[in-house]
Amino acid sequence: MADQPPPPDTGDAFEYALSSNNAWAGYKGHQNPDFFPKLASGQAPQIRLQPGDVFVHRNIANIVSPTDINTSAVIEYAVAHLKVKHVVLAGHTSCGGAAAALGDSRVGGVLDTWLTPLKAIKAAHGEELSSISDAKERATRIAELNVDAGVKILLANHVIQEAIQDRGLKVKGVIFDIGSGRLRDLGVGNTGDAGAPEGTVRGKHAMLVFRGTNAAMKVT
Amino acid sequence: MRAAHPASALLSRSFSISKPRPILASNLNCAATKSSSLTFSRSIQLPALPSVLNWRTMDKSSISTYLRQSHDRVFERNAEWAAQQRAKDPDYFTKLASGQSPEYLWIGCSDSRIPAEAITGLEPGEAFIHRNIANLVCNVDLNAMSVIEYAIRHLQVKHIVVCGHYGCGGVKAAMHPDDLGLLNPWLRNIRDVYRQHEAELDTFDDEARRYNRLVELNVQEQCRNVIKTAALQQSFEEKGFPIVHGWVFGLHDGILKDLEIGFEDTLADVKKIYNLTGKN
Repeated sequence: MADQPPPPDTGDAFEYALSSNNAWAGYKGHQNPDFFPKLASGQAPQIRLQPGDVFVHRNIANIVSPTDINTSAVIEYAVAHLKVKHVVLAGHTSCGGAAAALGDSRVGGVLDTWLTPLKAIKAAHGEELSSISDAKERATRIAELNVDAGVKILLANHVIQEAIQDRGLKVKGVIFDIGSGRLRDLGVGNTGDAGAPEGTVRGKHAMLVFRGTNAAMKVT
Repeated sequence: MRAAHPASALLSRSFSISKPRPILASNLNCAATKSSSLTFSRSIQLPALPSVLNWRTMDKSSISTYLRQSHDRVFERNAEWAAQQRAKDPDYFTKLASGQSPEYLWIGCSDSRIPAEAITGLEPGEAFIHRNIANLVCNVDLNAMSVIEYAIRHLQVKHIVVCGHYGCGGVKAAMHPDDLGLLNPWLRNIRDVYRQHEAELDTFDDEARRYNRLVELNVQEQCRNVIKTAALQQSFEEKGFPIVHGWVFGLHDGILKDLEIGFEDTLADVKKIYNLTGKN
């Protein structure tokens, strides 16, 4: 926080934090006697990732199409001009676009054209996708593959490549699980050792699962 | 894209840090009260997060640590948010996963200072959202056109909001004589708005006022572009919705201003040339 003095270079940061906190709490309590009772009552507003923190582009099925000028302009502005530190491509479970791409019927209008990259993913991973009997899981898997493909396109973007080289820009792919509200790191991109939760490395036909000190290859 | 998970909400955080990751373990000690974690979550728990990262003067390992922390922060907050939602309503995510029927399509600017859900108080599931540079709706842009078509024909939204904002970097860039490479074709659309309203804009001697007015006129023209689509015209003809609104957000006061574009009059005007309903 801008108005907090920085922690001293030497000495115990926790001690510093606790003593500063005491002072802060005393001040807040004096300034507004209801401040802490209100906090304790559970009515406290959430602190969100603040306005000004995330530059956002949202489109149907979070598709990154290399020649799409809309997405390209967003990337150019965010990476070259605003110099963001992270580019996060976020897909999600129960995606209508993924379901449409997995189906055989036309959606109609311009949507089929927009969803073509997903259709291509479906064709490229047909064997794996058709081996998944549960429709929801199949949609989740194509959403993951879509994020993976999108991250590869991001990494092939020259503005992003330059930023990676010049200042260590990080590109990453995540999936939002609507059923649990949790973000899952897919371990794709250039974040190196980030890895997926439970250390799952997905290949085209096999998953290498690391748990504890053991590793097992599960062929799907 | 889906209305069900506004990015800002996913990343929200509570006052207490319940399960710090190893990198944040130090926070356990100062999170003795709700207030302490609030106070020090930024200054102590993440000491390497200045408001503006001066990466030019940092060594590589500090940058790398910073990037790791600012990355992990997102997952940390997401976990807290998910736990909070579940605590409030154990079925929250089951309901969220069951489908969406948002009332609104929001077409806004990518600018990080205008989080659509936060400024409108809309909850996950209530608004279908598209955000791009300077909230443009270009008829050859399949990205935005797919969003509009999906929102109208499949989700059957009732309102379409084009929301611009004063202080828009895209609009500002379009008022300057610079070659911005790949951004040129995108920003050209704003220069075209200027040309369409040249007579009015040139009456302003004050550049700041001209800039603000161009922000408004840009929103108005993008509303017009939504109204030019077959999906909008046909849906309104058949069902009486959606209707289109043009709003501008003020960064200085946080207030949304309705430009009152006059939807039905604009629709009638647009249809003289752009009628795609199949009826005269």
